[in-house]
Amino acid sequence: MIYKNIVCPLCGCLCDDIEVVTENGRVADVKNACAFSKSKFLNHAKDRAKPRIKKNGKLVEVPIEEALDEAAEVLKKADFPLIYGLSSTETDAQRLAVELAELIGASIDNTSSVCHGPTIQAAQDCGAAKCTLGEVKNRADLVIFWGCNPAEAHIKHATRYSITPRGLYTESGKKGREIMHMDVRETKTSKMANIFVKVEPGQDYELLSAFRAVLKGYDGGDVAGVPSETIKQLAEKMKSCKFGVIFFGLGLTMTGGKHMNINAALRLVRDLNDHTKFAIIPMRGHYNVSGANDVMTWCTGYPYAVNFSKGYPVYNPGEFSAVDILARGECDAALIIASDPVAHFPAQASKHLAKIPTIVIDPKISLTSLIAKIVIPSAIAGIECDGTAYRMDGIPLRLRKVIDSEFLPDREILKKIIEKVKA
Amino acid sequence: MNYMKVILISGRTVEQGTSLEISKTSEEYSNNVAMIMMNENDMKEIGVKEGENVEVNTKFGSAVVRCKESKIDHGIAFMPYGPWVNMVIGADTQGTGMPDSKGVEAEILTTDKDVLRIANVITQIKGIK
Repeated sequence: MIYKNIVCPLCGCLCDDIEVVTENGRVADVKNACAFSKSKFLNHAKDRAKPRIKKNGKLVEVPIEEALDEAAEVLKKADFPLIYGLSSTETDAQRLAVELAELIGASIDNTSSVCHGPTIQAAQDCGAAKCTLGEVKNRADLVIFWGCNPAEAHIKHATRYSITPRGLYTESGKKGREIMHMDVRETKTSKMANIFVKVEPGQDYELLSAFRAVLKGYDGGDVAGVPSETIKQLAEKMKSCKFGVIFFGLGLTMTGGKHMNINAALRLVRDLNDHTKFAIIPMRGHYNVSGANDVMTWCTGYPYAVNFSKGYPVYNPGEFSAVDILARGECDAALIIASDPVAHFPAQASKHLAKIPTIVIDPKISLTSLIAKIVIPSAIAGIECDGTAYRMDGIPLRLRKVIDSEFLPDREILKKIIEKVKA
Repeated sequence: MNYMKVILISGRTVEQGTSLEISKTSEEYSNNVAMIMMNENDMKEIGVKEGENVEVNTKFGSAVVRCKESKIDHGIAFMPYGPWVNMVIGADTQGTGMPDSKGVEAEILTTDKDVLRIANVITQIKGIK
């Protein structure tokens, strides 16, 4: 069976031109896919999790209903449960996770607290001039990659949206676009750019502010290892383009200053709109982390780090964000769904997951599942079940099912847990 | 024993991203993630060759990883996202929710120790007080 125009459930690019060939209930071939996507589709059947419960210190395989019963019991008993993850699943499952959080008075957080949480905080402070990837493809003649490495993280971004594609007003493709790359280290992305600007580590805020100063007629001198003349020349290029866009990554959100770095970037874009058309888009990592923010916002009013212990949603990153709750050892149970904090949180935070009853819902054997008390396997959204995901620019796209699965989708698992908690 | 102070950055690599889709308990994942990239001169200064192990120490913890030569600048080192770099990153988010996963001050030392296997990393995480 050949499926065309499949949406890829890997990164925030949500490339919708994937061709999947299936044979005997397995993915046999994938076309138009990047290395990550190919690896996800071709290895979907490998290393699958099984329903397990920890008994006498060992994880033993149990019937799925027993794992679901035990999960509901743990969540019912908990005084301060944490629900975390959500970014590698579809929007119905995300909505049900919020419903469960409200039901049990949990804190609920998605992976944006350790990726673009600071981006959201900055946008809440000063707004963001955004656009779609389609507008970038059809209109942008200046593309800036700041603190990101799409050549190794969003592999088809350059060919589908930002560097080489020919669009309505960008008929000459790459030739008609100026590409800048600002980063602390030269990467494969620098090679795709016309201009690479090396920024001293931790000096992004200063360089962004220097550009803003130059636009307002001031000369801040050499900043972040970049000569004053270069800053002026680049600012002139930004002012004189027809349609500019900044794509930025965790090089801005994960370094000192965090949301203040993004704040400076968003304000630079706002200032540039006095001269020309300019927009800014965060390079979202997980394929539906953008959806996790949107779903949580339309369910609770807040994008992440939400607590329901008072019976209504309260938002406070730093207090109700997962790393902080875990590092302070506050939660007494955790439900981890569609993410792997043990692989990606500081060990000082993930250690707490080993001390409390942790429930993991994941298609694969994750590192978190190795320290969990209960493991519930699920179908892979976008391969083994359908759903909706939001692209990095906020455009929702429909994920399709290409393989029948013995596993339940995340949304069915959550529905069953909710029913059991209510019972 | 030679050592050097660096600014440590963590991030995505193609090899990390493709091998985690295969299995995080695989040799391939460990080989692609339990490593640090440094420039040629910095490696010479410490006295470490491509493929040899180094110990990475920060005020938050310690990890032993394989050293790989890269065109990165002097004084900067890069580790792929994963449980080994997690050992040397702090959990303080300064009230933002986001730990300092890039730009951590670290000390790189030569070592005779082996890289921890994934099962041992999990045991170590469980043992943190």
